[in-house]
Amino acid sequence: MSTKRTSLQTRIARHIAFAVVLSLVASALVLVVFRHRSVQRNMERSAQTYASLVCEPLVTKISFLGNSGKGILDQEVAQLRELNNDVNRLEIVDVRGNVILRSDDHSLVVYGDGINAPVIDDRELSRAIAGLEPSTAVVREPGRERVYRVVAPIVNQWGIHHFSLVGTFSYARVDRELRNSLWLSALILAMGLGLTQWVSMTLARGITRDVERLREGVQRIQEGHLEERVTVNSRDEIEELAEAFNVMADELLATIQRLREANRELETLDQTKADLVANVSHELKTPLTALRGYLELMTDGELGGLPDEALRAAMICRKNVQRLSLRVEELVQLSRFERYMTLDSAREEVDLSGVLEGVIDTIRPRLEDSGIAIDIHVEHMLDPLQLNPEQVERVFLNVLDNAVKFTPEGGTVVVTAKASERDGHNGVLVSIRDEGIGIPRSELVRIFDRFHQVDPSSRRRFGGMGLGLSLARSIVEAHRGSVWAESTEGSGSVFYVWFPRLESSAERTAQPCPSGRLETAGAGEQMSEEA
Amino acid sequence: MARVFVVDDEPDMVDLLATILKADGFEVETDTDGRSALARMLVDPPDLVLLDLMMPDLDGMELLKLLRLDTKGADVPVLVVSARSGHQDQLGTLQLGANAYICKPFSPRELVRQVRQLLGATGDEKPRG
Repeated sequence: MSTKRTSLQTRIARHIAFAVVLSLVASALVLVVFRHRSVQRNMERSAQTYASLVCEPLVTKISFLGNSGKGILDQEVAQLRELNNDVNRLEIVDVRGNVILRSDDHSLVVYGDGINAPVIDDRELSRAIAGLEPSTAVVREPGRERVYRVVAPIVNQWGIHHFSLVGTFSYARVDRELRNSLWLSALILAMGLGLTQWVSMTLARGITRDVERLREGVQRIQEGHLEERVTVNSRDEIEELAEAFNVMADELLATIQRLREANRELETLDQTKADLVANVSHELKTPLTALRGYLELMTDGELGGLPDEALRAAMICRKNVQRLSLRVEELVQLSRFERYMTLDSAREEVDLSGVLEGVIDTIRPRLEDSGIAIDIHVEHMLDPLQLNPEQVERVFLNVLDNAVKFTPEGGTVVVTAKASERDGHNGVLVSIRDEGIGIPRSELVRIFDRFHQVDPSSRRRFGGMGLGLSLARSIVEAHRGSVWAESTEGSGSVFYVWFPRLESSAERTAQPCPSGRLETAGAGEQMSEEA
Repeated sequence: MARVFVVDDEPDMVDLLATILKADGFEVETDTDGRSALARMLVDPPDLVLLDLMMPDLDGMELLKLLRLDTKGADVPVLVVSARSGHQDQLGTLQLGANAYICKPFSPRELVRQVRQLLGATGDEKPRG
């Protein structure tokens, strides 16, 4: 989350910074160019002025040339040179192009009447020298230096033009100025960049603050604080978004409250239904007990011998009462199906062999009734498992009930339990083998579906609503275990139940409590009855 | 001969339980009202009590609690007979001081087995706890 928040702010800041830097660079460039231009023009103008001013005093001095006037001219030129810092060279050239005097930074040479004097061979320069109007030009010196050249005619008091002044002015100062302005601009830019970063982050923060508020609101709602609302006064799209968000939150809250209410109603209804089924079942159980008890006493001969016909009738009654009892028990199970699954799955360390013993004891009367033998092979020292004992007991009751139901009289049900690894997890595998009619391969998976029975007619033959195995599977899967079956049609099926050994630091809290066989403390301990 | 006290508000159930137990040679006393049953039990404690849970007026749970509070009734083994088959129901009654639990509808054989087991286990000694 926080990386995204930074990203938005940074993105906005980057955009602002980019715009600011771009305009800074542009204005710096424009400033530098203008500055450069103005310095250059300034220098050129002062060069022109200088040249035209210098002509005048030289006019008089020129006449001393050739005589002993060299010293005077020397002095004069040196003084004149000091007036302008840009002067590279001053030359006095006669109109024929002969250099009379040349003064540069290092030396001053006077060539007198021009015996050894250098001659100007540049045509353009020669024409400028011969001309009566001052002229200027930007040229490159042989040393590649770019210079400004001013040619000014020297006209004496009689109006005769014998000589011209050729002044060569360096652009060094201009270049230096340019360099300085560039450096200055760079410095300002660098400072501007730092400032821009701060300013742009601050500006971006101003925008993202509202977005951030919105995001926090969304997160609060996500965490379940549905009463959370967002206040943004930015008078822009973000404020609109915040208002839309608040409206949405209102509606969400209202909807959830409606749903909660509806759910509560449903729960109440569901509970009422479950209570009703449970109560009806309990009301049915007492009369069934009386019926079953007396019928068993009668058919077992405890109440004196019966005539054969009556005995046969009583046997049929007894069988049907038994079926009715099973149906009622299934009804109770059905009413408890959800309760079983939502049962606050309090897990305890459970010794599976103890649970199995308890379950087998519970169904032993039924086994004896139908003349079915049971073989139990439980490995010693099975790891205790973290299970809900009540649920696990129900699993084995249901699977065993199924096995007993399909095993013919005189058959044997074999129960084994051993440590077994599955998908890399340690656990305990329980197998329950019956000698029943077997299950077609295509049905092996579906038998665990709710209300599924292999053969609809088998419901009549074997009873049951097909609820037991699906409840067993739901419970086993809630414990991260698995349940599956293998079968050979005609010779029986094997049901496997595997529970994983879960790592848990929980201490052994309770012993398994097989139904009806527990002896516990006397009157000291009390516990509120769970209806 | 062991004396068994049967408490159930349903006369037919009382009759059935008495018939089963008598057929097996037990001496049986019965009562269909919780209060008078408790009073009789405390005067002359039986060897075993068969107790129904859902009864009007004084129900099985209350009766059990009151029985265990009295010195005379504290050690009498109690086998609860109930239509409720849930683990929690069983655990609840066992923690209230019942010694065993049998669910309706049970077979007479199972009842006798449990009664014998309780009488054998608690014979002259106090129950564990």
